[in-house]
Amino acid sequence: MDFREVMTIVLSGMLGTIGFSILFKSDKKRILCNAVGGALTCLIYMISCHYFGHIVVQNFLPAIFATIYAEVLARIVKAPATPILACSIISLVPGGKLYYTMYYFVTSDPQKADLLLSETLQISAGLAVGIICISVIVHELNRHKAKKILEVD
Amino acid sequence: MAEKRHCEKVLSLALDIAKNMVKCGAEVNRAEQAVMRICYAYGMEKAQVFSVVSMIIATVVDEESGAHSQMRRSYSYGVNFGKLEKLNALSRRICTETPDIDVVRLELESICVEDKAFRLKYCFGYMLAAASFAVFFGGNFMDAIASVPIAALIYFLQTYIRVKGASRLFFTALESAVAGFLALLFVHFGFGNNPDMIMIGDIMVLIPGLQLINAVREMLHGDLMSGMLRLLESVILAVAIALGFAIPVYFWGYMA
Repeated sequence: MDFREVMTIVLSGMLGTIGFSILFKSDKKRILCNAVGGALTCLIYMISCHYFGHIVVQNFLPAIFATIYAEVLARIVKAPATPILACSIISLVPGGKLYYTMYYFVTSDPQKADLLLSETLQISAGLAVGIICISVIVHELNRHKAKKILEVD
Repeated sequence: MAEKRHCEKVLSLALDIAKNMVKCGAEVNRAEQAVMRICYAYGMEKAQVFSVVSMIIATVVDEESGAHSQMRRSYSYGVNFGKLEKLNALSRRICTETPDIDVVRLELESICVEDKAFRLKYCFGYMLAAASFAVFFGGNFMDAIASVPIAALIYFLQTYIRVKGASRLFFTALESAVAGFLALLFVHFGFGNNPDMIMIGDIMVLIPGLQLINAVREMLHGDLMSGMLRLLESVILAVAIALGFAIPVYFWGYMA
């Protein structure tokens, strides 16, 4: 792993997270939390890219981390988890792959386009599974608390 | 035992809070729980609520005055996490303190003031996000600089051009097409080096990331219908973005 490359990714990921926190109109005091989450998620993404070859696993691990981070922090600061999760994980959203899929479709290279489309879907699936893995545990833990209110019949 | 007027006021308040939560980008599950909690906090005997993304319907039953139903339909929504947090805190406070309904209503109105004006702060957010992601996906410094004015233009278009009730898809595609055309134009005149990196930075600003996350979490909670709606919408929006950027990329070859 090239140190410079990692630093570029982590720093730009963090700045992107801050940008998105502002774009999503987050509260001022949450921006720091989101930035730390975004930077750590990018770092874990780079580490898992180094050790694992599979594109789903590469995105699955940082998604797991971001979800744990969001759920834990949400409990600490007593705020909803989704805003923290959405901001920290935003840099993993496959915008680049989406662009290249479109580009190869337009420039009549269907094989490459198919490959990139499948990569885009795989990345999304990896992120989704990562979020689900942690959310399911949190959901189970919360269920007993919510039972009183929601299951009246 | 509550009078009819009280029931209607409680239901109306609960639904307004829930509707604004969904509009700010909360999962429907959170909004449904908020309605239930608020109704029980104000002494309703039974409350039932159902919500899909753009509609919430709820009924409270009271032995004395019977059943009351109301629904809310939201037509447009924009992400606003600051407002969401305030609404969440408000609904928590209602459950613990049960303040007077009229006081809460005033507070809700002060939270939900529509702010549609062009704000430099949010414009800066768009610029920062676009520039960072141009670098994140492998662009150089000049690409980041070049993506900044395009992101500002996207924010400008989103603030002023989007008409209430008009197709969100059409405007997303239009904004994408304008952004793509500008990126190619900038590179043609030597401002920035890689048009693809500039465009990716601006794609990231437009992409419905929160929709996707909410879709996953809602489906997990068993809100399959809202989850599917959100998933479908985010996929369609992604296609609209791709289509928007495809137009300038395709026709540039003929123009230059």
